[in-house]
Amino acid sequence: MSVRPFRHSCLALIAVSLLSLQDVPLAQRAPTVAAAANLNFALTEIAKQFERDRGMRVDVVFGSSGTLTRQIRDGAPFEMFLAADEEFPNQLTSAGLTRDAGVVYAIGRLVIFAPTGSPLMVDERLDGLSRLLRAGGVTRFAIANPDVAPYGRAAEAVLKKHGLWDAIRSRLVVGDTIAQAAQFSTTGNAVGGLIAHSLVKEPGVAERGRYALIPETDHDPLRQRMVLLKRATPVVEQFYAYMQGTAARTVLIRNGYQVPQ
Amino acid sequence: MDWAALRVSLWLGAGTIAILLPLGVWFGRLLAVREFKGKLLVEALITVPLVLPPTVLGFYLLVTFGARSPLGQAFEALVGHSLPFSFQGLLFASAIANVPFVVQPIQRGFEAIPADVRDAAASCGLTPWQRFARIELPLAWPGVLTAAVLTFAHTLGEFGVVLMVGGNLPSQTRTLSVAIYDRMQAFDDRSAGVMAATLLTISVVTLMTTTALSRRVNPHRA
Amino acid sequence: MRDPALSVSLRQSGPIPLDVEFTCHSGEVLAIFGPSGSGKTTVLRSIAGLYRPSHASIRSGAETWADTDTGTFVPPHRRAVGLVFQEYALFPHLTALGNVMTAIGHRPRAERRSRAEAMLNLVRLGPHASKRPRDLSGGERQRVALARALAREPAVLLLDEPFSAVDRSARRRLQNEIDSLRRTLDVPLVLVTHDFEDVVRLASHVLMLRHGRGVACGPISTLMSRPDLPWLREAVGLGSVFDATVTRVHGDRGLVELTFGGGMLLAPARNIVVNTVVRVRIPAREIVLATTAPAGLSLHNVLAGVVMAVHIDTAFEGVIVQLAVGTIVMLAEVTRDAIGRLGIGVGQRLHVLIKSVSIELQASDAKSATDISAV
Repeated sequence: MSVRPFRHSCLALIAVSLLSLQDVPLAQRAPTVAAAANLNFALTEIAKQFERDRGMRVDVVFGSSGTLTRQIRDGAPFEMFLAADEEFPNQLTSAGLTRDAGVVYAIGRLVIFAPTGSPLMVDERLDGLSRLLRAGGVTRFAIANPDVAPYGRAAEAVLKKHGLWDAIRSRLVVGDTIAQAAQFSTTGNAVGGLIAHSLVKEPGVAERGRYALIPETDHDPLRQRMVLLKRATPVVEQFYAYMQGTAARTVLIRNGYQVPQ
Repeated sequence: MDWAALRVSLWLGAGTIAILLPLGVWFGRLLAVREFKGKLLVEALITVPLVLPPTVLGFYLLVTFGARSPLGQAFEALVGHSLPFSFQGLLFASAIANVPFVVQPIQRGFEAIPADVRDAAASCGLTPWQRFARIELPLAWPGVLTAAVLTFAHTLGEFGVVLMVGGNLPSQTRTLSVAIYDRMQAFDDRSAGVMAATLLTISVVTLMTTTALSRRVNPHRA
Repeated sequence: MRDPALSVSLRQSGPIPLDVEFTCHSGEVLAIFGPSGSGKTTVLRSIAGLYRPSHASIRSGAETWADTDTGTFVPPHRRAVGLVFQEYALFPHLTALGNVMTAIGHRPRAERRSRAEAMLNLVRLGPHASKRPRDLSGGERQRVALARALAREPAVLLLDEPFSAVDRSARRRLQNEIDSLRRTLDVPLVLVTHDFEDVVRLASHVLMLRHGRGVACGPISTLMSRPDLPWLREAVGLGSVFDATVTRVHGDRGLVELTFGGGMLLAPARNIVVNTVVRVRIPAREIVLATTAPAGLSLHNVLAGVVMAVHIDTAFEGVIVQLAVGTIVMLAEVTRDAIGRLGIGVGQRLHVLIKSVSIELQASDAKSATDISAV
């Protein structure tokens, strides 16, 4: 009788639908913290240490500062935001979504990266890039999206400063986040890219190619500000404080950031 | 392997089916059996999510239900959290995105029933509900099954809407497809690879199971 | 006490034109006959409630099933109709037993299975009860459809082109089966067909439809003798149709003696017993008319008839002579030349000559399940 299995499936579906409507209970979930993608390695490490030291957990969601800002404004339940610049957190503060104006927790640096086997020669003055560009050897070059990623904005500034922006524009692959730009740069999908120093400090990435640090004077300082959002719970408040403590700062420095005094 | 993400993906798939199948059966049958003015328009509207980029859907959902909109604020006041960036929000978006995958196969399933058979059921003294439950639905069942499979598989692969509307929150809106993206950005190719293979395996197994099932249900076609 | 007559009146100008009115009593078999597209199936579907003409009045016994004047409409699942569809419309996912059981919802659950089994036995499909339609032959599916219609214990039995999808030998058997069934049924039976053979074999009454209009309605013997229906002549060939009783069997001569309202006929036949009622059909072309009694001819049958009418239709070569033979009306087709030569006119007494081999016989009795004509 072909009707019986059909009836069973109906009941199964109803059961599933009822169950799927429930959420994971609030008490069990760790609070969520939003962070710019350049913090991928550093913050993961800090959060682990935080859990080891204090016995409390936070979940980190990485993205581009611009996208995260937008999501927070649209009601995303993040309790803390570590941006790649100051402008985006300030937007949130003006919108009245934060506890206060926050603090600068790190200053980031740009590098120019070329994967092994790439014809691009890396140097801090971008001479190698310039030569390759003139020779027509730049197939693709990666940066982050200047609209939503502060490191992309900085990359644009650097390229403009060296007069390369117009020539290289048509060759750019634009990553949604600086991490995606790093992906493009390190996997051979581009001859290279302008990416975050913090992302190449990770051994797994560093060994994929070579890089050169871009002078701070070539772009506006990548002062990275963090804010507590109004809905922040005690655990996150502690994390906020932890970020400014010695343990965290050590990790940041190791990952290529400078920390404010 | 992000088990929480796998769980979210599976629940999203199952939840979408649970919401859409009853609606799809009702509506698909209606379209198969009745003629009415504007039917062409309705059928076209149902197909729209197929051609719409998922990001467009995500965009409109954020604009309509986000914290900055009156609807969103009302929702939050009522339920305690916003509709986007919650699993319910994902379900909602997924349901809308999957409407064509549900309605069309079911409609075809009911259309395949000869009008004579429906009439015969009436002449046998079966009430409209009995006709539906005992004659039409068992015969249209392969269409319903197809709808369920397509929807489930499609939902597992959903990325654009999930990212825009979900916010990639662990255990809540981080589906397996988003987790793969996440791991790639963290240069964790190994994890990404494992999860991608898992997703692929689930899809293949689902398709195989339902094809086999539908063959068993179907052979009574004279 | 149930007055089982079905009375139907349907009128509609479009999209399907309809204009019919008829009554069918229990025990009668009404054949709705006409060319394809004449609206026959629509009439049947209207009776079943599957189609709603703009003007309808349908009554089954004391129940009003449809009346557009009062706005009454009983939905199909509440009408006690047994409908056998042209393509059977069996439920493909159910067994033969399951199909029949579907129609027994009006009985308590405990009885349904046994009743369904009894129905299947009635149509001699008992051993096939657990087969699905796809495993049954065309004739077997037809019988399941019949059993399902009967299981409903209907007040009216409706058959839509029941033999169109079946081969010739199965058709004969099915016709006999339905014929024997209707005797035990005691309900009106309405049969839609475009095949004249069905009409001849089964019908007691005929409604002729043309473009949705009922152009003639009445007992079969009367209708078959109406030469004023030219399309009937073309489609079917005119003839005389009437019932006769077997009064003697001449086994040694291979002949049977039939007694009917016009006298006695000799026809060749085997496997038939005395007192069987048979339906006789004699095509008009097979009758020879004579002004003097013949002698030394091979044929067996010479009857006395009086000319009632002579129908000349310029569309046809032959002329139809309508004769009263006893109480029966017979038709003979002759050339116009013959009319002149013999001086045939109304009121004239003629000898009606019928070759025994031209007589078509069909057993109308439940006992004879096979076609007994030796032809």
